[in-house]
Amino acid sequence: MLLPKFDYNAPATLDEACRMMAGYGDRAKLLAGGTDLLIALKKKTVTPTQVVALNRVDEIKGFLSDGDGLFIGARTTAAEIALSDLGPAGQALTQAASQVGSPLIRNLATIGGNLVTAMPAADMAPPLLALQASVVLQRIGEQREVLLSDFFISPGEQVMLPEEIMSMIVLPRLPEGCGGAFEKLGVRKALERSIVSVAAVISLADDGRTIQGARIALGAVAPTPMLAQEAGAALCGRKATAKNFAVAAEIAAREAKPRGLRTSPVYSRLMVEQLTLRALTRALEAANL
Amino acid sequence: MKKCHITFQLNGRTCEVLVDPNQTLLSMLREDLSLTGTKYGCGEGDCGACTVLLDDEPVNSCLILAAQVDGHKLTTIEGLADGDKLHPLQTSFIDKGAIQCGFCTPGMILSAKALLDEEPNPCELDIRTAISGNLCRCTGYQKIVEAVKAVADDCQGEN
Repeated sequence: MLLPKFDYNAPATLDEACRMMAGYGDRAKLLAGGTDLLIALKKKTVTPTQVVALNRVDEIKGFLSDGDGLFIGARTTAAEIALSDLGPAGQALTQAASQVGSPLIRNLATIGGNLVTAMPAADMAPPLLALQASVVLQRIGEQREVLLSDFFISPGEQVMLPEEIMSMIVLPRLPEGCGGAFEKLGVRKALERSIVSVAAVISLADDGRTIQGARIALGAVAPTPMLAQEAGAALCGRKATAKNFAVAAEIAAREAKPRGLRTSPVYSRLMVEQLTLRALTRALEAANL
Repeated sequence: MKKCHITFQLNGRTCEVLVDPNQTLLSMLREDLSLTGTKYGCGEGDCGACTVLLDDEPVNSCLILAAQVDGHKLTTIEGLADGDKLHPLQTSFIDKGAIQCGFCTPGMILSAKALLDEEPNPCELDIRTAISGNLCRCTGYQKIVEAVKAVADDCQGEN
């Protein structure tokens, strides 16, 4: 498969990359891990005249935490995230990262790329939604922070301007007593695009039983990764019991908007219910550890 | 389309190449450097036949532009043997009958090497996970896992 013709640019800093993107606009495509872009180039679904590679821009790679929360550079790979210790709630994200593609893909694919491509089944999107993440978008002399829940528009489409570069993902600091988990359904164990995925993050009161807050996010069952807001709200103030989890799981299944592209909507909803139940149960275990 | 001049470490030697900006790493290895041990399978990152080690980590060379390896370290299957002496994994694959048609073998061995470099005594699940991005169309997975395990056991014996 031949790639379309383009020039290769390898800026060394984020500032330099922003200048290039400002100059090229939508004639350019950003290259991070390349696991999606190279395929799109081969299939000629994108035909940029310029490719701006970010692999020398090390300032947007890695982890940084302070009192406000955790910052993950957009170029951090799925493998690096899978191996990191992000705490009991952050497990939702590390578990999702460890199931992206295959080990070969995880060594290349980046967290930023997983979000920018805006695929409904993107593995890392549900845990990030459940963790209340936002993304930082950079262009020359200007940056804006967008809540991930406001980021996705439709399959393959998000709010970024052509000249913007995602620099990092921000996870707000969560209180003590939080736990998270990720569940994914596929027909095989590796190199699988999710049929349904669910991430749950719950926060427990000091008694270790009352739920103070719960966020449940779904993947591959709507045009974009989505929060099941009613399901999460239904758990607030309730005890963390199997019965209450079952009620929330049923609500999550109703909130899903499956389009029946990969499997029947009925099956999708049933699986949302089951996976939500499992994710909540495991999130509780993580919170109590 | 301006050509890119790149310098990188290839199987322990410094290598300088002039590549097209729209050329994949796989195409540079096979067509420009005649290193045909790295195979072209699906071209989409699904099969792992094109696996190489980039800075010691296994990756799909069909999903990387040649220009991206500038300044990096690359190991292909040709870099494993020490002269005429095969790498223990290569010997083990032969001894255990882990090679059928052979097309997936270079990728399998490189994924296994990356695992053993990181974890000299992996469990079977570690091995199966490590090669989960490498497909064997002959479906000879059992022998492949046994071949990797034998090398791991050998290492343990030496310790």
